[in-house]
Amino acid sequence: MSYKIPMGPYHPALEEPYKLDMFCEGETVSDAKLHIGFNFRGIEHLAETRNYIQVIALMERVCGICSNIHTLTLCQAMEQLTGLTPPPRALYIRVIMAELERLHSHVLWAGIAAKLMGFKTMFMTCFALREKVMDVLQVISGNRVNYSMNCIGGVNRDIPDPRAVLAMVEQLEREMVRTVIPIFTTSTTARSRCAGIGVLTHERAISCGVVGPTARASGIAQDLRRAAPYAAYSEFEFNVPVETAGDVRARLLVRALEIMESCGILRQALAKMPPGEWHGGDRKVVFSTGSAVSRVEAPRGEVVYCVSWKENSRNPARVHVRTPTFQNMPAIRWMVMGARLADTPLIQASIDPCYSCTDR
Amino acid sequence: MTTIESIREKLGTAEPWVESGGVRWLATSAPNVRQLAAVMNEAQARFVTITAIELPGVHLYRLEYLWDLDGQLLGFPFVLSGNSIESIHDLCEAVDWIEREVHEGFAVDFPGRDYEPLLLRAGDKLGVNLHQELL
Repeated sequence: MSYKIPMGPYHPALEEPYKLDMFCEGETVSDAKLHIGFNFRGIEHLAETRNYIQVIALMERVCGICSNIHTLTLCQAMEQLTGLTPPPRALYIRVIMAELERLHSHVLWAGIAAKLMGFKTMFMTCFALREKVMDVLQVISGNRVNYSMNCIGGVNRDIPDPRAVLAMVEQLEREMVRTVIPIFTTSTTARSRCAGIGVLTHERAISCGVVGPTARASGIAQDLRRAAPYAAYSEFEFNVPVETAGDVRARLLVRALEIMESCGILRQALAKMPPGEWHGGDRKVVFSTGSAVSRVEAPRGEVVYCVSWKENSRNPARVHVRTPTFQNMPAIRWMVMGARLADTPLIQASIDPCYSCTDR
Repeated sequence: MTTIESIREKLGTAEPWVESGGVRWLATSAPNVRQLAAVMNEAQARFVTITAIELPGVHLYRLEYLWDLDGQLLGFPFVLSGNSIESIHDLCEAVDWIEREVHEGFAVDFPGRDYEPLLLRAGDKLGVNLHQELL
């Protein structure tokens, strides 16, 4: 018997609006259609009405999880148009913030995934750990969600005592190695709930142009920190974890291994932070006419900002944002096809979707 | 011959690649977006996005197609003579949602494809968000 099940717009797993119409044969999903836009905010248009300082604050609100990444990408594009170059210490601070944000995002996702697997203890453990990552972010920036760290030509705050932050990061790393990583890599609960479901084949992943951990779990070794290094990433040693199975477990493993790589990058960055200026100072911000494109590897994958400016204007002429979830989400259709209905909330959550980013 | 030079040759343009704003741009003299998509597929480039820009005062649009080739961004600008440009959805699955978004935000049509109901907004009016004339 064929029937349609509308899931959403209130998502059963992630409390954000989006709808998936699933066409089922018995308990098996035969096809699906996605609907987004329930909270579309028109931020790209709003950006054209903000000046070069206000637009940074606006774009920080595109996403509540990777807010720092959006201002980093925007500032990098604006730096290309103004010719302002951030000092080396600022580039290190940008890397530290980006990796802390990746940790926070991946641990948050791990908690939600654990909850969907029926592994409530693990959910609590992940969220307790996430609090500690946010404590580090608060120590550095004074904020827990919108950090206001990036500005044109540098960052707004220094990390005056990197050793204190390093001690916090090392403690975090120990707890992750002790709790999160072994459970997600070796536990039979995680394996039985995730292995072989929601498969996105390598060929389909290429065809859909998916990015970030979703791509890397389908055998695509693509990471902008390696392929097109920005900030100070070219100065650090790290691996790009890749899995080939393309299932939910592969996406879980990639993120678990990325948590370890992020800790490694943080240790390197905090240990060898160069001295000197971290802010652009009082240099005058003058935009030249033209366009600039900036890309950053966010926790969910590649974020792209295309920014156009007219000379002597205080406002951008155009800001186009391509978020990773916007690129990854259409692939959900292929992941749920053939899956059991009961597995679909976990499959949908496995791309770590951000509807706030998508409905920008 | 390098891959990006072979792309230029296959597109049949004498224009050089121009590096600007983090992108290598190639202005094709005879714009054919479908030929471009086929060439980029052959080069195993990854589609990144389309940026639509309404040119001031002249009711023209410029669409900038971006592809990633081994970490290098390659850009191809197309100035539309009307408000339509052929869809490449059948050649490049990854373009689906961004074509729909440009269609909704700027009222640019992509002949050769079907549209689902609006992707980003409720209602049936196109171009109300980013089309200057309708602001």
